[in-house]
Amino acid sequence: MTRTTLSMHHIARVEGHGNVHVVIEDGVVRDVRMNIVEPARLFESMVAGRPFDKVSYIASRICGICSSSHVVTDLMAIEDAFGVEVSARTKMLRELLVYGSYLQNHAAHLFVFAAPDFLGEESLFPVADKDPELFKGGLAVKALGNELCTKIGGRSIHPITAVPGGFTHEITSAEYLELADKLAAMRPFVEHIVDVFAAFPVPDIDSTGDFMALHEEGHYAVVSGSPRFAKDGLQFAARDYRRYIEEYTVNHSAAYFSRRADTAQSFAASALARINTSWNELTREARLAAAKAGLRPPALNPYRNNVAQAVELVDVCVRCEAMLRELAEMQGSSAPVSVVPRAGRGVGMTEAPRGTLVHDVEFDDEGRVLKASIITPTVHNLSDTEKNVRQVAEKLSTQGASEDAIRLEVEKLVRAYDPCLSCSVH
Amino acid sequence: MACANNGVSARPRVVIVGLASCFGCQLQITNDEAHLLDVLGQIDVQYWQLASSAPEPAGDVDVVVIEGAVTTEESRRCVEMWRSRADKVIAIGACAVTGGIPGMAAADVQAGRESVYGGEAPEACGRMIAPQSVSSVIEVDFEVRSCPIDTADFVAVLERALYGSNTLVLSDTLCGSCKRNESGCFWREGKQCLGLVTLAGCGAKCVNLGRECNGCRGLSPHANLPAARAMAASMGMSVADFDASLELFNQTSPMLRKED
Repeated sequence: MTRTTLSMHHIARVEGHGNVHVVIEDGVVRDVRMNIVEPARLFESMVAGRPFDKVSYIASRICGICSSSHVVTDLMAIEDAFGVEVSARTKMLRELLVYGSYLQNHAAHLFVFAAPDFLGEESLFPVADKDPELFKGGLAVKALGNELCTKIGGRSIHPITAVPGGFTHEITSAEYLELADKLAAMRPFVEHIVDVFAAFPVPDIDSTGDFMALHEEGHYAVVSGSPRFAKDGLQFAARDYRRYIEEYTVNHSAAYFSRRADTAQSFAASALARINTSWNELTREARLAAAKAGLRPPALNPYRNNVAQAVELVDVCVRCEAMLRELAEMQGSSAPVSVVPRAGRGVGMTEAPRGTLVHDVEFDDEGRVLKASIITPTVHNLSDTEKNVRQVAEKLSTQGASEDAIRLEVEKLVRAYDPCLSCSVH
Repeated sequence: MACANNGVSARPRVVIVGLASCFGCQLQITNDEAHLLDVLGQIDVQYWQLASSAPEPAGDVDVVVIEGAVTTEESRRCVEMWRSRADKVIAIGACAVTGGIPGMAAADVQAGRESVYGGEAPEACGRMIAPQSVSSVIEVDFEVRSCPIDTADFVAVLERALYGSNTLVLSDTLCGSCKRNESGCFWREGKQCLGLVTLAGCGAKCVNLGRECNGCRGLSPHANLPAARAMAASMGMSVADFDASLELFNQTSPMLRKED
């Protein structure tokens, strides 16, 4: 009997700490484990007893790269619990803040984490000499994401200005227009990036799992809409998520895993899930770039999440340019509206860059947290990752691929999910 | 020695390590895109799990940069190992410097673990201990404060660690910055701001954007906590709320435990 054990210790170029174990016996994959060893910081216990106005500040620290999403989702949960309605301007600013983190996240993931695999490098740094245009352009996208987050939220990581009810500070109309121009100027490069990632060869597999993302008719849902499974089209209210999504623990992971509660099926929450769910809501430019790259629903190959993120970069440039121009003309205020605490439960659900994020918080009548539950995109994705790693390892093993070749494709697949292990454990 | 400016020697060997954290401070290192290569070009980054799949080196290094709080026996051993192999240690970010937000769980780790996992935690959690700062576990040569760190601050400190300079840190509180900025004072609006006990150095970034200081740089060694509490009481505000706010970034600070 031939037994091959592939152990990828502290898999590199992902956020957080995890090991990937794959055991193959006579060409059959016996075991796949996403061994998540990221230290637990126990956020849910940390926010218990804290006043509502401190919660988003604490929750932001779950993740550096998607701190904007954690803050916005938390504010939505607070406002849902207290029955607070914020202004249209506040909603638009929150959407822009989240899109700023899309640019940051997708650029960091595509260029710093994923691209070196396809270019045969250990990191992005050698690419500075090898392909200076890709290196400089990639960093410029990331810098533009940082700038958008900084201009709207006050800082590129852990936004300052977004508070319950609104924003404590805004930039001027001239600054909004300047940002709009920068986004417009970035579009040709990100369109090129869709083609670059579409050309990278990946194994041909179809995910056995489902896909889930927020969906809203006529609007690409990021801080609005309700969750929908792509394969059977089942859509449900955010508040009822516990009936459709179930979290469970496994001994080899400090992070919870999640699956569909009704079918026990794994699912992916990601840019690819959004494109499968909200294709019609993408901007025309993004649909065009996607179609040119051969990506259209149903897009079932999990490796193609890289291309989906590149398509979203196009979408973000077009969409945010328009939003910023509208904001420069728009009347109304984003100053925090009155927030009066009351006892109750609130659910915030958004599309973070890496997928659907849930903050579920219960408050007492003084607005102190009784109980909190946070489900991050990577929690949704871990079970699906294990299933599809199994699939690709089996396929390559059957084809007689070398151990190194299998290892590389497994690592590429894990990275394609863009896991955030610090988020997943929190 | 850490100094690489002796002509023939290789660039200083640097390792970047992440413990319990949001990874935001490591990201901040990459967030000065325009000067990234100027900074990284001066050093030989031997291990950085976040950015490179190059394997962990076996020998000694010149500088180790540590982000995150120590929350397990495994991570305690990890920082002790790096201390023994590195000439200089730089702790970056609130988690590493004060225990930061993860430090909040130090109040009751057992209860926290039970509430999050509903009983026994999975084996993969390792042996959890009360979170503490890196500086309370090993001797740290340089600190970069704030949550998250400021990229320019990091570069300045890295420069001092690589090319030699003193480790002196200022000790004044943030209130002085607001006076200089003429930005007004939250206390007068009836809002508790932690600037009066927090170490200065951020330029009052949050206050300038309309938000009270949450104390992410940690307590100033000159912080007068009894006077601050007395002030809150004299203004008719809750001293308990003031103390609870301090826990966000100073839960494990010995200063917070002192009664006077």
